[in-house]
Amino acid sequence: MSAPVRRPPLAVVLVALVMLALGETAGAAMSRLKPEIQRYAAARVAANPAAHGFTGSAEYDDEVRDRAIFTAEAGLSFFHLHGEGVGLVLFFAAALVAAVVSERRTRAVLYVLLVLGGLFPVGYLLYGAAALELGRDAGVELAERWILAPLGISAIAGLAGLWLALARRPT
Amino acid sequence: MTEADSPTWRVPPRWVLLVAVLSIVAAEVGGGSMARFKVELTRWARDGMLARPGVHGLVGVRDVDERILDEALVKFDAGLRLFHMHAEGMGLVIIATAMVAATVIRHDAARRAIIALLTTGGAGYPLGYLLWSALIPSYGLERSKAIAEWLVWVPFGTATIVALWCLVGFVALRMIRPKS
Repeated sequence: MSAPVRRPPLAVVLVALVMLALGETAGAAMSRLKPEIQRYAAARVAANPAAHGFTGSAEYDDEVRDRAIFTAEAGLSFFHLHGEGVGLVLFFAAALVAAVVSERRTRAVLYVLLVLGGLFPVGYLLYGAAALELGRDAGVELAERWILAPLGISAIAGLAGLWLALARRPT
Repeated sequence: MTEADSPTWRVPPRWVLLVAVLSIVAAEVGGGSMARFKVELTRWARDGMLARPGVHGLVGVRDVDERILDEALVKFDAGLRLFHMHAEGMGLVIIATAMVAATVIRHDAARRAIIALLTTGGAGYPLGYLLWSALIPSYGLERSKAIAEWLVWVPFGTATIVALWCLVGFVALRMIRPKS
């Protein structure tokens, strides 16, 4: 008969669920509120002309505006996709940590790394918002360097740690 | 050792797991079929559109019509791909969230309702993409999308989103009041 399987702390489960719920909600918003999102993005670009390098030439400015709006929409789309995917990765990886890692301190370190990695999709929300506020290139650079890269590294470290713990586990 | 010292999972009802696994299997079969029967599926959709020129705004001018047909075929293919992707993902979401609901929610009626919403919403939502693709040849891009939206995406998607946020609330409540 199989033994009961230990579960991760509720705080870890909560972060995974919130990511899944935000991912789902963002997907619905993308579909139902597309015109409103585009209007909002256009208004934010217009409010920050210097950040976007507007020149006063309608043709050039329109192209810059379209690119910034596209980037903001892509950020929301990536957030939807990664929110769902990373939420599941966090859930199942944390469930494995709870089930197979016996040392309490190792479990705690892995939970922290995985939870930080689980927040990775939030970087895409910032990616979209910063592209509108700071200009496309500066916004993307900010999100990639300060949010996506560190949180992504944390997720990789947590998963690598889980792999090591599994590999070292006595059979 | 008590549950508080070493908390454990509770398995959701078997029908939930069966629905979730079926969703994943359907997604896999969908993905395989898209690759294996790509030509046949495209031919079926194209023939369906050519049989209803009025629905698709075909005018009989090859250059114009081919552009319209190409756009519709891209959407037809996108619907199948999105079904494949969402059915796989939602199958896993059902397993994960139903397991949390079964473990965390102590009130019987609330637990059953949340699990039912998560399962039906999660399994039903991806079928909207299949319906969208299937209806494109007969009803055109916009009408088929509206039908899929109101028959499937809105009701099943809303069920999933509402149930997920309720589950978030239950987990948060359980953290604040462990005895609840």
